[in-house]
Amino acid sequence: MKLRPATSALLFFTALVFAAFSVWAPRFATATNIENLMSGFSFIAILAMGQAFPILVRGIDLSIGAIVGLAGMVVFDLALIFHLPGYLILPLALLAGSLAGALNGFLVAYLRLQPFIATLATLAAYRGLTYTISGRQLVPGLTTTAITDPWIMGIEAYFDVGGWLGLTKWVNMPWIPLSFFLMLLVFALFQVLLLMTRFGRDIYAVGGNEEAARLAGIRTNVVIVLAYTLSGFAAAIAALIMVARFTTSTEALGTGMELTTIAAAVIGGVSLAGGTGSMFGPLIGAFLMGGILLGLTLLGISQFVQQIITGMILLAAISNDRLLAIRRRPKLLAISSGAS
Amino acid sequence: MNADTASRASNVERIKANALPLAILVIMAIFSLTEPAFLTPGNLVGIARQVALIGIMAVCTTFVIMTGGIDLSVGPVLAIAGLVAYFALQADLPLVMVIFAGLFAGALVGFVNGAIIALLQLPPIIVTLATLSITRGAALILGGPEQHLIRDEPAYSFIGAGNFLGLPSSIWIFAVVAAAMIMVQRATPLGVLVAAIGNNERAAYLSGHSTWATKVLVYTISGTGAALAGIIQSSQVHTALATYGPFGTELDVIAAVVLGGTSIMGGNGSIARTVLGVFFLGVISNGMNILNVPIDVQLIAKGTIIALALALASRRQ
Repeated sequence: MKLRPATSALLFFTALVFAAFSVWAPRFATATNIENLMSGFSFIAILAMGQAFPILVRGIDLSIGAIVGLAGMVVFDLALIFHLPGYLILPLALLAGSLAGALNGFLVAYLRLQPFIATLATLAAYRGLTYTISGRQLVPGLTTTAITDPWIMGIEAYFDVGGWLGLTKWVNMPWIPLSFFLMLLVFALFQVLLLMTRFGRDIYAVGGNEEAARLAGIRTNVVIVLAYTLSGFAAAIAALIMVARFTTSTEALGTGMELTTIAAAVIGGVSLAGGTGSMFGPLIGAFLMGGILLGLTLLGISQFVQQIITGMILLAAISNDRLLAIRRRPKLLAISSGAS
Repeated sequence: MNADTASRASNVERIKANALPLAILVIMAIFSLTEPAFLTPGNLVGIARQVALIGIMAVCTTFVIMTGGIDLSVGPVLAIAGLVAYFALQADLPLVMVIFAGLFAGALVGFVNGAIIALLQLPPIIVTLATLSITRGAALILGGPEQHLIRDEPAYSFIGAGNFLGLPSSIWIFAVVAAAMIMVQRATPLGVLVAAIGNNERAAYLSGHSTWATKVLVYTISGTGAALAGIIQSSQVHTALATYGPFGTELDVIAAVVLGGTSIMGGNGSIARTVLGVFFLGVISNGMNILNVPIDVQLIAKGTIIALALALASRRQ
């Protein structure tokens, strides 16, 4: 895989930020902090990678946080009310998330709703549905019951990889959470899907120019539905990780995630104009945001200032995106004039 | 036969053009039949009072959406305006200055939004998402996480909680703002300019309009509207708090505008119809409250109604 200049610039910037925090922020470059970063932002990276698919087809998924809440509540109900075994709950939760995503795609592709509005409406609807099916409301007393199913709780596991490799003799290595490996798995899966399959090529074609893609014989509606389905699928995985961490779920699980994931995807170079970007950017974008937030916390900077800085990072990221687009334009013009 | 189809088509057009007021009437009829308490003067005034805040914000942000933009930052602007007004009151400034200070805070955020969007040509949804975060952070730094009580300020409290000619003053403010904005749209060049930018920004620019000035202006109006809502709210509840206007406020505002028929892609739109959209949502949520519909079903119903209304609206085009 050849790195685009934008990606290498992002990697360079991320390395710079991490280096700066390692020097100035106390306890930033420690095993504990890196463990925190991996366990706290792997599921954000998964969500950001899911969010990238709708953005790639020139859409957006504002309901991704609500789908996290819905999938989390499905797990809660199946585990605590229906007492299903974990190996059934996992696929059912993934199915619930994917179906919610597919409905988004249906609204966008077949009812021709604006993605922003359609997913805004389903944001409200899915959150409402989460309250409706909430086992916390239906069966009082479950609120304090922890989920103990080994299949689900097994997600919240840590591996002493450094110890196995014998590295701990020289340096204190962080234990790596299973969610980090899950994130890598999702990354590999999505990246292969995007770069090596016909579906991936269709995604870029639809995002670049939907009408042209349709005229070229691509079933654009199916591609769009699948893009939103993948976003819902990613949301369900993130929900499983979060439920395993908290040993329970709440109706508010995932609130506000849409903004974080859009920010991570855009920082990662997934253009809101559609058709540009891959899975690598959102992954780096999520951990860059995580690194900055953890670093600022370690520097003793208040939550309030962090909100301001997050906003500034977002502005910087889109300004950069815009700059790259302007630089690309002469090249595109040259290509099109050369062709004619 | 030709004329027959034509007249049938024009009938359909006429119904479609008035679909929203008709829908409001039908829903009101259903609610009043199932629950007599719905159609009482007290409850109707209550609906108007409930929608006044969202209404002021929706009316002021309609132009933004008509230019093809969006303003997600209204929630924290509402909060910071209340806080600024609170601190101005603490400083014993005269009431006019208090209100001006609050409005200025919102206008400033709106101006910055507009300047970044117009001059750097960045996507409005991300820019205002960023300023949402920045403004919320600024509000929290300014006010901290605690409540600031506004006591013994009868003049300030009158803004939101007072009564004038038998109606709450917040309704009067909403009515005046809505009337003023409808006038601006119908009787000043701004209304045409805004629609021109939304239809084809390049064409508007090439025909000599300073599109960036118009864009900066509409975002400033939107910020000022949110600030006005913030002042009214802080006056109503006698409290200023940095977390007022929680996440979701901007979505309610946008929903009202879009239900009013303003295209989220820009171009088409009408402030008068935004007012109808505001009341449509207000009537539905009031009716469901009276009928004791649980909050979760209300959320689902709201989402479904927005999706349905928009699906129908896009069929029209």
